[in-house]
Amino acid sequence: MSADALEAALRAAGIAGTVTADGVVAVLRIAPDDRVLDDAARRRAAITLASEHGFRSLALEVAD
Amino acid sequence: MHAKDHSAIARAEDAPEVPDITQSALARERELVAWLREQGSVLVGFSGGVDSAYLACVATETLGPDRALAVIGRSASYPASQWATARAVAARFGVEVLEIDTDEMSDPRYAANPSNRCYFCKSELWTRLLPVAQARGLAVVVDGTNADDVGDYRPGKQAAVERGVHSPLALVGMTKAEIRERSRARGLPTWAQPSSPCLSSRLPYGTAVTPERLRQVELAESALRELGIAGDLRVRYHGDLARIELAGDELEHWLAPAPRRELARAVREAAGFARVAIDLRGFRSGSLNVLHGIGAA
Repeated sequence: MSADALEAALRAAGIAGTVTADGVVAVLRIAPDDRVLDDAARRRAAITLASEHGFRSLALEVAD
Repeated sequence: MHAKDHSAIARAEDAPEVPDITQSALARERELVAWLREQGSVLVGFSGGVDSAYLACVATETLGPDRALAVIGRSASYPASQWATARAVAARFGVEVLEIDTDEMSDPRYAANPSNRCYFCKSELWTRLLPVAQARGLAVVVDGTNADDVGDYRPGKQAAVERGVHSPLALVGMTKAEIRERSRARGLPTWAQPSSPCLSSRLPYGTAVTPERLRQVELAESALRELGIAGDLRVRYHGDLARIELAGDELEHWLAPAPRRELARAVREAAGFARVAIDLRGFRSGSLNVLHGIGAA
């Protein structure tokens, strides 16, 4: 389970951001006005990647 | 006929058949009424949730207010709004209510938040309620466990079994959908109410349960409701981070940049979380069980 590896995988899938781990929860930060996760298919892909990297949950941290 | 009409027919034919639960719900209710009559009198553990509200109303209607008593066990692990719902339902449907305080928070086995935490909470609840039933000459004590609950991981159920507490809804095979259907038919306001497990369920196992943490979760969820968020909603506690689970339609809306900032601001200001995150899978019942490998992902 590696936040860095998930971050790289998400970037390769077109989701640019930083990932930190809180136990088995992956926390993703993207640019404040980024709408990349508006698309349900892309969200599903991101969740699948998180799962493949050993995380049980993927959450989008809301930047100020 | 237009092509559009053909496709509509095809869709209707392809759609899975949705069983009509109206009849099955009514049949189960008749079984429930018969069971209650056999007991003669009952004490209902009453949380104000969908199941116990329905059970308390049917018990009162069947046995009369002198032979059916609904008891609310109050503690910090349930939001105050739930007591308000319980009282309102009871008042409207003539349910006799008693409120007593429970103190599971003082039990270190509960406060340590092990995966069988519910066992200690329910042990405290039933230990307090059984003497009430005895003092009032009520024949049996019942809870709102339904048929859908039976296969779940529910250590609290063990505490009920050990103390002889009955679960008539499960006994007659009544599902949550059937309870909602009969609640709707009876005009109970709880019929469409989201499920509402205790606030401690928002803390990962092993994270100590404290009144302050529960209050944080309660305030955050209340703030989100005030934003107009409907349906299932959970604020999961991860220290300084609040992880929010929203139902599907709500998730779509609140993930957009401006709404998500509004949501995060509301949670920070109301509950003092430093960080706010929206779970991308949305609401999952028992999600913290999933995080700990208990139950299906």
